[in-house]
Amino acid sequence: MNATATTAEKRTGTPTLMQGNIALAEGAVQAGLRCYFGYPITPQNQIPEYLSARLPETGGVFVQAESELASINMVLGAAATGARVMTSSSGPGISLMQEGISFLAGDQLPCVIANIMRSGPGLGGIKPTQGDYYQATRGGGHGDYHTLVLAPANAQEMFDLTYKAFDLADTYRNPVLILADAILGQMKEPVIPEPPYPRLELDKDWALTGANNRPARNIRSMYLEGDDQEQHNYVLQEKYDRVRQEVPMWEQMDTDDADFVVVAFGTSARIASSAVRLARAEGLRVGLFRPITLFPLPEEALREMAAKVNGLLVVEMNLGQMVHDVRAILGPDKPVSFHGRPGGGVPTVREILEKIKENMV
Amino acid sequence: MATNTLNLPEQEYMLPGNRACAGCSVGIVFRHMSKALDGKAIFVVPASCFTVLCGMYPTASVQVPVMNSVFPGTAACASGIAASLKKQGRDDLTVVAMAGDGGTADIGMQGLSGAAERNANVFFVCYDNEAYMNTGTQRSSLTPLGAKTTTTPAKGKMQFAKDLPAIVEAHDIPYIATASPGYPGDLYDKVCTARGISGTRFMHINAPCPPGWQFPTAETVAMAQLAVETGAFILFEIMDGKFQLTGKSLALADKDNRQPVRKFIELQSRFGVLDEETLARLQERVDERWRKAVARHRAEE
Repeated sequence: MNATATTAEKRTGTPTLMQGNIALAEGAVQAGLRCYFGYPITPQNQIPEYLSARLPETGGVFVQAESELASINMVLGAAATGARVMTSSSGPGISLMQEGISFLAGDQLPCVIANIMRSGPGLGGIKPTQGDYYQATRGGGHGDYHTLVLAPANAQEMFDLTYKAFDLADTYRNPVLILADAILGQMKEPVIPEPPYPRLELDKDWALTGANNRPARNIRSMYLEGDDQEQHNYVLQEKYDRVRQEVPMWEQMDTDDADFVVVAFGTSARIASSAVRLARAEGLRVGLFRPITLFPLPEEALREMAAKVNGLLVVEMNLGQMVHDVRAILGPDKPVSFHGRPGGGVPTVREILEKIKENMV
Repeated sequence: MATNTLNLPEQEYMLPGNRACAGCSVGIVFRHMSKALDGKAIFVVPASCFTVLCGMYPTASVQVPVMNSVFPGTAACASGIAASLKKQGRDDLTVVAMAGDGGTADIGMQGLSGAAERNANVFFVCYDNEAYMNTGTQRSSLTPLGAKTTTTPAKGKMQFAKDLPAIVEAHDIPYIATASPGYPGDLYDKVCTARGISGTRFMHINAPCPPGWQFPTAETVAMAQLAVETGAFILFEIMDGKFQLTGKSLALADKDNRQPVRKFIELQSRFGVLDEETLARLQERVDERWRKAVARHRAEE
């Protein structure tokens, strides 16, 4: 599936000026969010603050937990009942949640988790980063699992991808992570906060709803008998293979005749798109490839596009994480260079343009 | 003789210029604490207002060693430092775990309980500004009933604050005290007492916050004093299980002239949504805790 880029200009409806974090929260409300559990941490506080007032209006439940450990395990409990549930956090809070996320994946429970990335490691800072790419795309916690990872690049996508995340979570019975950053969370842009399509309504025949005149259901991730645990992991793997086939989303800009392509996601991709425009103005045939899903990465589309270009530049707000996946996908014969800024540093348009010129020859 | 502003040590451990908000009470707290500790301390600080106030080496605003811990791990990290210092034979240093109300009573509770049960050689200080002020005033388990926060926007908080010193006392540690920036001499003396004791010591400090409580920045000390004068915050210490009122609270008990809680909260806009029924419930809770405190003081005198 190729994504249609979802800026407000490309949607019909009345745009309103919205902060990215609020757009994300409202996207969840429109998707039928029933329960939100969260804990304060900058730069995502507008999400719980907004939902503390907004969710009760819709008959939903807002709970401020005593820690992120509590938040994610409240999500675990509420998800088991079949409700649409979510939490949000950043850096240290997402790290603290990892055991719970591993349980959610093992138990095959749908939920949405928003990580509005701040710089690290450790307590770090509150500036934007993409340093959690590995944590998000590798599972993050213990065991052999994946969460689906969606990477918005503007406020409209904060709304739209969060809306979509709940459908994906229900479809695959799996946690879905929204991976944004402090810039996307804090900035305001025009947003059309209306559902782009009706939400998916699935019969959750696995949910714990009280065994009234039917056999009791179990939700578990512990298998001690024989090779039960091994078989359970094969079931999960089969699901991830389906996800790899069905879910990839990406956006391409000026790649049709390109000799050289920049690969970037989220905030980096926004900045890179300006650099690509400047390169085009100088007569350089440069394009942009923006993965919207980070797990699964759009491998086939990337390969197909890369076959027609001489080289690629991966731009990230870290010191090189997605670049290793891109190199693994494209193989050793395709020149893939890298430019990154860590710890809250943000690459500039000029920097990227220079790197494009440096690596094009 | 009780310490007052005239006989405090001259030495300062807090440098001019820090990143705290105007009128922040935590500066007053730290200044007097560090004097009482004679600077011979290692501070362990989780995500909190105090970590912002301290700043980062080499531009820190405090002249004592400070270490950042993970939010739930302050007491554990301090326990680790204390264990290592013991091995090194360093008994001249006090390990101070200094966390806010969230870092103590919410996410930090498990670690504090573990350290207290082991009687780890740690001085745990909770400066309680009654919400997550560093992240923009979200409610905590120590936010009072009726106070409006950014996550209790409609009718203010629906629950009472939990009784933090009572929870800690259940661990049977050698020293527990409360203190206030409105009475820095009392605070100083209690830190001196804590410094001379080994094992887990705990101090609960009321920390008025102008932006979070919504009062003028010049009124911080007056606000801290009103908290005590109304009995909303009680000054006491519990030494080896023996409870004693101290300072202003002791004087109030002797003269029986507490002010109504209304006088304290009407100056704070965070209580702007408070109705008379909630105010009556708050007053009732304050009265009940005050009666128990005075009765216990007299019984154990």
